[in-house]
Amino acid sequence: MRACGRALIVALTCTLLALGITFVAAPISAQAMTCDKATARPNEDGGSGVIGGETTRLTWEGTVESGEDVTKVTLTIPDDGTFDGSTTRVTVLDGLTRMSVEAETKTSGNTLEVDFSQAIPEGSLVRLEVTNMCFPVEGGDYAISGTYESQAGTSALPDSPSISVIANTPLQRAVTWLDGQSWVQAWNSNQFLGMFFKPQLLLTSFVSLFGGWLVCLVIVIVAYPIAILLGLAFAFMKMAKHKVVRAIAVTYINILRGTPLFLQIYIMFFGLPMVGVNIDNNVLGVIVMAVNSSAYLAEIFRAGIQSIPTGQYEAAASLGMNGAQTMVSIILPQTVRRVIPTVTSDFITSYKDTSLLSSVGVMELMMFSKNLTTVSGNITPYMAAAIYYLIVTLPLIKVVGIVERRMARSESGGGPRPKAKGSATPAADPSTPAMASVHCEATEDDGVHGVIGALTAPFRSASSVTPRHDEMGGVPDAL
Amino acid sequence: MRSRNKHVAMVETPDALPADAAAAAAFEHDHVLSRHHFTPGEHPVVRIEHLNKAFDETQVLKDVNLDIWGGEVVVVLGPSGSGKSTMLRCINLLEKPTAGHILINDVEITGTAKTDVNKLREKLGMVFQSFNLFPHLTAKENVMIGQMKVLKKGKAEAEAEAIRQLDAVGLADRADFKPAQLSGGQQQRVAIARAVAMHPDVLLFDEPTSALDPELVRGVLDVMRDLAENGGMTMVVVTHEMGFARDVADRVVFMEDGVVVEQGLPENVFDHPVNERTAAFIGNIADA
Ligand SMILES: Nc1ncnc2c1ncn2[C@@H]1O[C@H](COP(=O)(O)OP(=O)(O)OP(=O)(O)O)[C@@H](O)[C@H]1O
Ligand SMILES: [Mg+2]
Repeated sequence: MRACGRALIVALTCTLLALGITFVAAPISAQAMTCDKATARPNEDGGSGVIGGETTRLTWEGTVESGEDVTKVTLTIPDDGTFDGSTTRVTVLDGLTRMSVEAETKTSGNTLEVDFSQAIPEGSLVRLEVTNMCFPVEGGDYAISGTYESQAGTSALPDSPSISVIANTPLQRAVTWLDGQSWVQAWNSNQFLGMFFKPQLLLTSFVSLFGGWLVCLVIVIVAYPIAILLGLAFAFMKMAKHKVVRAIAVTYINILRGTPLFLQIYIMFFGLPMVGVNIDNNVLGVIVMAVNSSAYLAEIFRAGIQSIPTGQYEAAASLGMNGAQTMVSIILPQTVRRVIPTVTSDFITSYKDTSLLSSVGVMELMMFSKNLTTVSGNITPYMAAAIYYLIVTLPLIKVVGIVERRMARSESGGGPRPKAKGSATPAADPSTPAMASVHCEATEDDGVHGVIGALTAPFRSASSVTPRHDEMGGVPDAL
Repeated sequence: MRSRNKHVAMVETPDALPADAAAAAAFEHDHVLSRHHFTPGEHPVVRIEHLNKAFDETQVLKDVNLDIWGGEVVVVLGPSGSGKSTMLRCINLLEKPTAGHILINDVEITGTAKTDVNKLREKLGMVFQSFNLFPHLTAKENVMIGQMKVLKKGKAEAEAEAIRQLDAVGLADRADFKPAQLSGGQQQRVAIARAVAMHPDVLLFDEPTSALDPELVRGVLDVMRDLAENGGMTMVVVTHEMGFARDVADRVVFMEDGVVVEQGLPENVFDHPVNERTAAFIGNIADA
């Protein structure tokens, strides 16, 4: 994943900094025909790069050294390149005078033969301009090689300086296309839009950040089940009869909740190597996230369990159920339903908090976007990162709202009563007034207010941990 | 049993009587007070002897003595705070008595080990004022869960029994409804079915209709009446439903301030109360 990310960054750097063609000094040789120059005309729309698989014009220059005359030149480019369909213009300069030379060109795949009608005398410069040729699609640094023919027979041409060719990916094609669009140019000419939402960069960022996004997701998806189990364990420990067990749980929970996650990350990532414990960054990231979340989840679970009215325990006990049966069959199923919104909110927080791991070198979304912004000097990669976070969080925020709404309906008896005989008057239900208000809010969520509802939902969910004794088991004792 | 709670003043109570002597004494005491048809040598199902219960410093039950006979319906009356619920909850050990004895079928339950408590509660059904149905389960599942977890019945068997009991309370068509989809009266009837499905020796009702709208009370009382008259169920019912007490009760017990003040046949207690506080209470209820 890391190597892939690097490659993408490299590719992007090339595009952005427009390092189309690099010249590499040709080795000085005593050959009879030298290659002085090989360049390709940029074919990147609005840029200065050479893109593989797209037609370009190759300019190749060589000089015939003393004691030779050349009758034929053959150029070869790497396998996937092609000269098919190209046309070649031949110019021969003897000093400053232009010689009129007839030439016949033959193309076959990646070779080009230029047969001169007369021998090119020594000291002459041969310039071949080959239009409509293509470099290999996959890009890279390519040197032009080949052979020439003289009276002495066929000899190899020295390799030309290499030409950097940008890989022609669908992404590159899309960027190229965007470069050429007038609306994109207009968009980017606005300072704000160009700095925060540059379309080309947004596109390339999406691709480059994908790996980091996966790292975030994997970290939180692996960490969270561990956090849930740990959280449940500490929740029970905090409710245990044994004082020492309770004290351990309280200490664990309070320390983790009372210190910043950022600090916990630093302590673990810098502390463990100091004492010779070396754990893979991603694994350690999972551990830190799991441990941190478990403290919050322990409190959520404890509050959830304690919000189940005592009537439920008494009803189970009066049936003869033992403690474990009561917990497993009666209390936990109800707790799960109650804590789903809060746990989801906590999951959202954990997912966002994986960004803190960028500070210790975990290659997650934030890290990638920071790198891209550094390279491009543009804020757009951060915006792309924001979108990656939102892709996950917005639906979950919506889910929280929906679950809360459904719970409010089904558990406080405010839901529709199939085949209701009109027997239950609102007055019979002590929680009716509260219900009604939740209901109004909930219906507002639909339609136009969807996004606003989704965004405000987590704040509403904050109240769901607080015990609502009147919600379950019907009517409370104190009427 | 002696109290080990250091906050509570120790109440000295005599040991429980031997079963036969207790039964004989109970018969001597109760046979004129109850409509119950006594059989020779019968032992009471529940024996409450010198029951004391204190919460912190407050003595809530003071030397309560009461015997309940198999198939008998005992209605407990009394003003709020008199300790009716506490007494009922002591019988199935939802509250721990501070002193005295409770015996179920001549077996002392006070001071039993924890596992025995669960075993004991199988035999003591309870119906709560606030229904306390399990909201995540359907009506049918509410009735099934105790049978499956406690009586270890198979699913099919438990389900058949659940349908039978729901039918008996007139809710067969609501079997798959969640409690939230049922009216209060329907919920209470499901709660009764849930308790009856365990085939308890004694059913304890703590103000089963107090949380209900007046028009829903009837249905629940009818179910209870049916249980008493046709089911032969032994029932201890704390209620303010005087009509039910008069018609269905074999015996009415009046409690005040943690003491059984008066008990007897319903017509006697209602029409000729001996104790003036009983008279005042019944008068108040009648006025209301
Ligand atoms: N858990 C408890 N802790 C402390 N005091 C309690 C507790 N439960 C009951 N009490 C007290 O015990 C006394 C008797 O309560 P109990 O609930 O048995 O009365 P009740 O006769 O059922 O009244 P009501 O008709 O209102 O239900 C009351 O004064 C009450 O305050
Ligand atoms: Mg009560």
